[in-house]
Amino acid sequence: MSHDGHHSVVIPAPGPEFVPHTVAHHFDTPVQEFQSAKLGFWLFLATEILLFGGLFAAYFYYHDLYPETFRVGGQQLDWKLGAVNTSVLLLSSWTMAMGVRSAQTSQKQKTMLFCALTVLGAVIFMVIKFFEYKAKTEHGLFVFPHMFDNYQVDGSSNAGSLAWFTDVHNVMVDETGAPLLHGHLFFAIYVTMTAIHGLHVIIGAGLILWIMKGVAKGRFHAGYYLPVDLVGLYWHLVDLIWIFLFPLLYLVP
Amino acid sequence: MSAHAHNDSHGHGELQMGHHHVSSSAMFTNVLIVLLILTAVTVIASRIDFGPANMLIAMLIASVKASLVILFFMHMKWDTAINKIVFLSSFLFLSLLFIFTLADQATRRIDHPMHATKAKVSKEWAYPKPAMSEKH
Amino acid sequence: MTTHAPILDTQKAKSEQPKNYLNCSSGFWSWAGTLDHKRIGIMYLIGTGLAFLAGGLFALLVRLHLWEPNGMLFTNDQYNEIFTLHGAFMVFLFVIPAIPGSLGNMILPLMLGAKDVALPRLNLLSFYLWVMGAVLAALAIVLGGFDTGWTFYAPYSLYTNKAVVTIGLGIFLLGFSSIFTGLNFIVTTHKLRAPGLTWFRMPLFVWALYATALLQVLATPVLGITVLLVAFERLYHIGIFDPRLGGDPVLFEHFFWFYSHPAVYIMVLPAFGIISELVSVHSRKPLFGYKLIAFSSLAIAIISFLVWGHHMFTSGQSTYAMFAFSFLTFFVAIPTAIKEFSWVATIWKGSIALNSPMLYTLAFLIIFAIGGLTGVILGALNVDLHLHDTYFVVAHFHYVMMGSIALAFFAGLHHWWPKMFGVMYNETLAKIACVTIFVGFNVTFLPQFEMGSQGMPRRYATYVPEFQPYHSASTVGAIILGSGVALMVSYLVASLFIGKKAMQNQWGGVTLDWLTPTPPPLENFAHAPKVTTEVYDYSTLDLKSTQTPIG
Repeated sequence: MSHDGHHSVVIPAPGPEFVPHTVAHHFDTPVQEFQSAKLGFWLFLATEILLFGGLFAAYFYYHDLYPETFRVGGQQLDWKLGAVNTSVLLLSSWTMAMGVRSAQTSQKQKTMLFCALTVLGAVIFMVIKFFEYKAKTEHGLFVFPHMFDNYQVDGSSNAGSLAWFTDVHNVMVDETGAPLLHGHLFFAIYVTMTAIHGLHVIIGAGLILWIMKGVAKGRFHAGYYLPVDLVGLYWHLVDLIWIFLFPLLYLVP
Repeated sequence: MSAHAHNDSHGHGELQMGHHHVSSSAMFTNVLIVLLILTAVTVIASRIDFGPANMLIAMLIASVKASLVILFFMHMKWDTAINKIVFLSSFLFLSLLFIFTLADQATRRIDHPMHATKAKVSKEWAYPKPAMSEKH
Repeated sequence: MTTHAPILDTQKAKSEQPKNYLNCSSGFWSWAGTLDHKRIGIMYLIGTGLAFLAGGLFALLVRLHLWEPNGMLFTNDQYNEIFTLHGAFMVFLFVIPAIPGSLGNMILPLMLGAKDVALPRLNLLSFYLWVMGAVLAALAIVLGGFDTGWTFYAPYSLYTNKAVVTIGLGIFLLGFSSIFTGLNFIVTTHKLRAPGLTWFRMPLFVWALYATALLQVLATPVLGITVLLVAFERLYHIGIFDPRLGGDPVLFEHFFWFYSHPAVYIMVLPAFGIISELVSVHSRKPLFGYKLIAFSSLAIAIISFLVWGHHMFTSGQSTYAMFAFSFLTFFVAIPTAIKEFSWVATIWKGSIALNSPMLYTLAFLIIFAIGGLTGVILGALNVDLHLHDTYFVVAHFHYVMMGSIALAFFAGLHHWWPKMFGVMYNETLAKIACVTIFVGFNVTFLPQFEMGSQGMPRRYATYVPEFQPYHSASTVGAIILGSGVALMVSYLVASLFIGKKAMQNQWGGVTLDWLTPTPPPLENFAHAPKVTTEVYDYSTLDLKSTQTPIG
């Protein structure tokens, strides 16, 4: 898009293994480009906070309405797996921060290594998540891919396909063995929140892989590391949301 | 926004990306250790019955952890004022959604005792009969 | 120099016809893949314009059906779909994206003295998200339509046997289109202002778009998660909004209106911005209360987050919440009245040019006064319990949505048309169309206030015969309104082919958008602009530029 009479600003590469960066035509300086993208990305992160915020509002709304359902529901989740996953995400956040730092200091190999470790963290997280979902499906608290879709009130009976359904009866009960009001609601919120969070983990891992491609080409260095920085922010946001999900879902207060 | 931006005689420093802050690895590691300790603390705290305060304690610890991630891992401590305002305002506006929605639900019980849900329920009410799912 | 053969002169003139954003390149991909904010603005204009015409067609069908008490055209089910299509198309495909997407995209970077918006690729993505949203909306019609009203209230939307998931996904994409536009405008306003263009030298259209953008970014994500939850609800019966599974449909309304009340201001603030520009330019007077208008935009944006519960007075909220929401609602009237008074004060003793943009502006001022004041009436808790879901509400929000926002959009379109295309439309036809639209609009919606206050409920396919005179008048008005719009579209399109060349500065504006060549070149300014004067300072106006034809 460069235009006659204008020649673009170029940030030189710090070494032979790197490539220079050309500032986009409509910016006057690299600082302007950097700050614009960064402000835009913080705005985007703000929208992510509000998007998840709706789910958190629903959580608190029903936690308030059905406290027992949530207490017993939380006990069905394995808090040890949750704690391991929390630690994995925190560690991957650390590797991501270190990856951004390596890019800022033009250390190509280290950037590559830390990005790879972060993706590894994402993979471990998703594998653990998969086994958690699998266990819950086997216990019939929700069923992939049908989830709760047989959970309807009226119409003809379809009990044959609903083996999972009786399990909820057995598990979601109070001290006296009486069924809890709307026992499935905790799992509905659990699945919705963790699935949307998991989607963000996958997108984040994909973005880091894309960053690694750029790192291999030598695109990111002390003069230009903007995309690494932004993807790093995204990854920390994924961590940030999980920090709240862990106590709310696994250690229901 | 300089009008002379196309002048190539700029010093190398000015062509850098502005005031970037490179944090030390030690700081990142220290933050990570604190975060892991706080994760352990939140698990331990959840084992002790503080009554309704459990939720408050859990959210307090999570907020401290979140602040550490935002300030250090996300470099917000060294970011520009506008970026700080933008990100923190999302929490401010989110709190509006929380406050009004939860306040409505909480005060509805004052009007209508039937909204209180502590009462025992029949099995049929809690687990209505399943049926064919709606297809699209 | 006069000895040149005339034919050479012509050839020379042709080859030296100045390059602008319209003629600098051609071909399908030069438009479909463009990163230029002006071309994206034109594409938005075409897209949202078509959506407006489609929505208008649905409106005419609704009005024709209601000609007779038992309905003329449709079964009750079909009627439900038609009014839903009218609402959803108008709100999500036209009113929300139209002004920021078309005029905002076109004019905001020009007003700031920037070469483009800060994030041009994101800008193009916004447009294509809009297109995908529109395609999904069309697909939803093919897949069986949707009959929930544009509000998608649970639990009906969870159980109706229609293509709710498809249109829900469409609205999710449209939401992100809107978010990205807003995000882009915020960054552009912060980072790409020309040297000397301080915050209080920014034109008020920019201030309005900035306040709008804050709302787009902060409110729209909640709509996104709400429609996602509705989709999950339909696919998996998670139960969050379903009372039969322990969910609370009032929570849906909280989520929906947390977005959709601010969304009302996403729609109306850009319209306020256009009117602020136009009253100043066409009265040739600096704006009365410039800073007050600027701050009132921000005040409206913030207050709009505190009042959403006034849409839910009959939904089963707690009385305490209703009291708080009703009380807070009245505060919206303060910044809004500040604007209205400031506009009127700007016109007062001004050198008023009664051309077509100004006619639309004056129509706006009258209609918005009615629309705004009836809003205060509806904000009162006890009155609303009587008027809720009647035609009084329908009339109120049409006075704001159609009468104010669409008319402000038309005003802006007529104002910047010569800037965008370098041609002028037929001014006489424009005035006729404006008067027709104004008359048609009032004939359509004034009777609705009356029948609403007598108890005619909205969204009903049939009615008792006592209401027939009102409904008939309303239908006649809709036809007049429709023919006015048809006339407007015809002469605007015709002007592209047979229109006179516009002046360099058609109306004598002094903001940066009028100081670039008309139509603007690809990167907007031949030389990077520098602002040294206060905004709306007409003593700096280069009168010659208002009399020089372009080219």
